[in-house]
Parts: sequence; structure tokens; C-alpha cells
Amino acid sequence: MIWQQLQSIAGSYPLALRGLGMTVVLSLISLVLGTLLGFGLGILRTGGNRLISGAIGAWVDLIRGTPFLVQIFLIFFILPELGIELDAFTAGIIALTNLAACFICEIVVAGIRSVPTGQVEAALASGLSRWQRMRQVVLPQAMRIVLPPLVGQYVLLIKDSSVVSAIGLTDLTRVGWLVVQRVPNGLLVFFLVGLGYFIVCYPLIMLARRLEQRMGAAHGEVQL
Amino acid sequence: MTNPSKNGTGMIEFRGVNKWFGQLNVLKEITLSVEPREVVVVCGPSGSGKSTLIRCINGLETIRDGDLVVDGQRLGDAATNMTRLRTEIGFVFQSFNLYPHKTALENVTLAPIHVRKIPRIEAEKAGRELLAKVGLADKVNAYPAQLSGGQQQRVAIARCLGMRPKIMLFDEPTSALDPEMISEVLDVMVAVAEEGMTMMVVTHEMGFARKVAQRVVFMDAGAIVESGTPEEFFSNPKTDRSRAFLSKILRH
Repeated sequence: MIWQQLQSIAGSYPLALRGLGMTVVLSLISLVLGTLLGFGLGILRTGGNRLISGAIGAWVDLIRGTPFLVQIFLIFFILPELGIELDAFTAGIIALTNLAACFICEIVVAGIRSVPTGQVEAALASGLSRWQRMRQVVLPQAMRIVLPPLVGQYVLLIKDSSVVSAIGLTDLTRVGWLVVQRVPNGLLVFFLVGLGYFIVCYPLIMLARRLEQRMGAAHGEVQL
Repeated sequence: MTNPSKNGTGMIEFRGVNKWFGQLNVLKEITLSVEPREVVVVCGPSGSGKSTLIRCINGLETIRDGDLVVDGQRLGDAATNMTRLRTEIGFVFQSFNLYPHKTALENVTLAPIHVRKIPRIEAEKAGRELLAKVGLADKVNAYPAQLSGGQQQRVAIARCLGMRPKIMLFDEPTSALDPEMISEVLDVMVAVAEEGMTMMVVTHEMGFARKVAQRVVFMDAGAIVESGTPEEFFSNPKTDRSRAFLSKILRH
């Protein structure tokens, strides 16, 4: 019986590949956009402007404090009510990018704040502009703190992408739902779905671990 | 010898400057003029406001009232470009504050390349010369973590000199150093002074003051209590507070 079910599942491998592809494409686009946006938000958040900083802080708290499923429903079902038509793929990208940006913003802020004030003062004293201080002195040192949790966050976001199946995108999770209707063995099907995610995430987990070790050993420790 | 009585020509001019940290009056009615090429040593007990005094000059601290004019520009004026002015003022920190992710040479060339827009090759040539001048020709590619405290502080001085500043400020440059490393840093500072740099140095190194300073300023509780030539100040301190201070630091 298991044998028959396995054969039947194997028959739907084109669908599974499509699902895996969707998961990877969706995650990849959102992570790249979310990283860029997250760094931008993090830098603005630590800048001098209280209003901007406060607004970003409030938005980040709001996103971190609500379920991703609710956010994706709001974007996919509510925005069209306001006249903004989105296909499921675009809605998924927007929701995931926003989520990624908010978490990455917090990681970047923590990294920037970990750089000793003396470093900023030294850069200030030698006449570097705001952007030069950030680019040449603060960010390179903040990256030591930022990189390991950043990669860890990527893993969480790839897994969170499974929520987009709720608005009908055929990602890996939704493929699981489709297949399980033909092959009534949920345990087997979703074991394979889980394995799919694991195969994508595991290299990143390893990367995060290696970065953590390398960063600890690299130059950049501030003496004193 | 410079003439401190000349008015308005000072490289650094404090006129009735006050500063508060909350309720605490950390600088009280400071009036002080530093002439071009003059070397002024600032000393006093800890918490007397000496570091705050020199940190005001390059805008690391802001003043509440009074005038502070540096290189002809009044701080706090809309017309004064603080970032531009800072390029003319070198600042040496007690804790060095070298960029840990950059080599000694990169520490020295960063601001010349990005702020002065000097071509990299030229900046590196000048940077190597400066590092050789402070006795670190063999440490050009070392990272700060690979250098001793004395070596780091010499790189920090070279980093300031790389900008060809008009003024150099030193905030207790030898206080964080092991005793055997103090003289290597002081030697470099003496060399800089002898080239005619305008300098304000917060330090308790009285040997350095005797050797190169034209003036010693003694501060206590945020005010300038006494000011005079090193000769006058050390041999004949005028106030009880300066006598008490000198007896403490000169005892050993």
C-alpha cells in the first residue's frame, strides 16, 4: 500500500518541482528586497530624526505583533477593496518583503547600536560625512553582529513563505494539500513537504553557523 | 614667544563659555585664547571639565552660551560648516578609537581619501611616510588588535596628521597606556609640537608640559583657576587648589 502511494506521489513530481520552485523564487525575491529595505529602515531608525525613527519603530512593532497570515489576508483581500488590484504572487511578495524588512530592520539596529560611540566620534572628528561614517566605519563593524542572525532570519522567512499557500499560490505547502487529496497519507506527504523545506534551509543554517564562528575570530574586536 | 594679549587673532577663542550637563555646570565662564603655533597643556583633577573643554572645540560637545571661535569661525553659527571645520582639527582620544576593521595604513588614509578626495596612491604614499615618522614603518598592514597600546596611539596621531590639520587636540593621550609605552607617544607629540602645530593637550605628563608647552591651564570644578608658563605654574603655583593638585601628582 505504501508502495502504491509512493508511486502515486512520485507521479506528481512535476507539480512538486513547480511548488518547490515557487517557494524558492518567492523567498529569494522577498529576501533580496527585504534585506535592502530592512537595511534602509535600520539606518533611518538609528538616524537623528525622531519622527522618522518613531514611525519606523511603530510599523515594525505592528508587523512583529500580528500574525503573518492576517497580514497576507489584509494585503490580498482588503487592498482590492481600496481599488488596488493585486495578483496572488505580487501580494505574496509584498507581504513577505515587508515581514523580512521589519525583522531585518531590528537586527540592523542592534548591530549599529553595538558599535562603540568612540568609533563614531573618531569618524566625526576626522570630518567624515554622515553617510561616510555609516558606510566606512559603522556598518562594517555592525556586520559582525548582524550577519549570523540575518542568515538565521532568512531560514525563518523561507518557512514563513508557506503561509502564501493560503491565498492560492502553488508553493510547496499547497502542493502538499493538492497531493494529499489523491494520496490519503498525510504523514507521508507532509513528511516529504517538510523535507523539501529542510533541503532549502539546511545550507543556510550551516552558513549561519560558519559565519558566527568566522566573525568571532575576525579582526574587529575593539580592544579595551 | 607668542603674545596672548593680542585680541581676536587666536586660533581657538573661548569667550565666557558655559556648559551644563543637566543641573551640573561643567564649564563655567571659560575665557581662553590659544594663538597659532601655541602649545597649551590643560590639567586638573578628574571631573574638572578639561576633556569637555577640548571636546567643545571640534563640536563633540556643544556649548550653552558664550562664544567659541575656532580658526575664525564661530561654532553654532549657521554659516559654520562643522564637518568642514573638523577636517582642520585633529583629535586624539584617550582610548585611541582606531577603526578595528582597518589596517594601520587604512586608518590613516580613510579620511584623506574620502574627505580630502586625495587619490588613493598619493594618500597611501603620504600615509606610509606618516607611519614611518611615528616609528611604525613595519606595522603598515597590521590591524589595531595586533598593535600595543603605544603603537595604536601613534597610529591615531598619524591618522590625525594625515589630514594636515591646523589644530591638534589631545584628550589624555597617555592615560590608557602601560607606563613603558608613555614615552614613545610623548616623543611623537613633542615632534609634532616642534613642527609648529597649534596644540591643546589634556594631560598630567608634567615633563611634556615643561618641555614643549608655552602655557599650562589649571582647571577645577569647571573653571579655569590658574594659567601661566610651565615655569611659573610648577615652581610657584598661585592658588591652594593648584598647590594641592601638584603635590598629589608630583609626589612620586
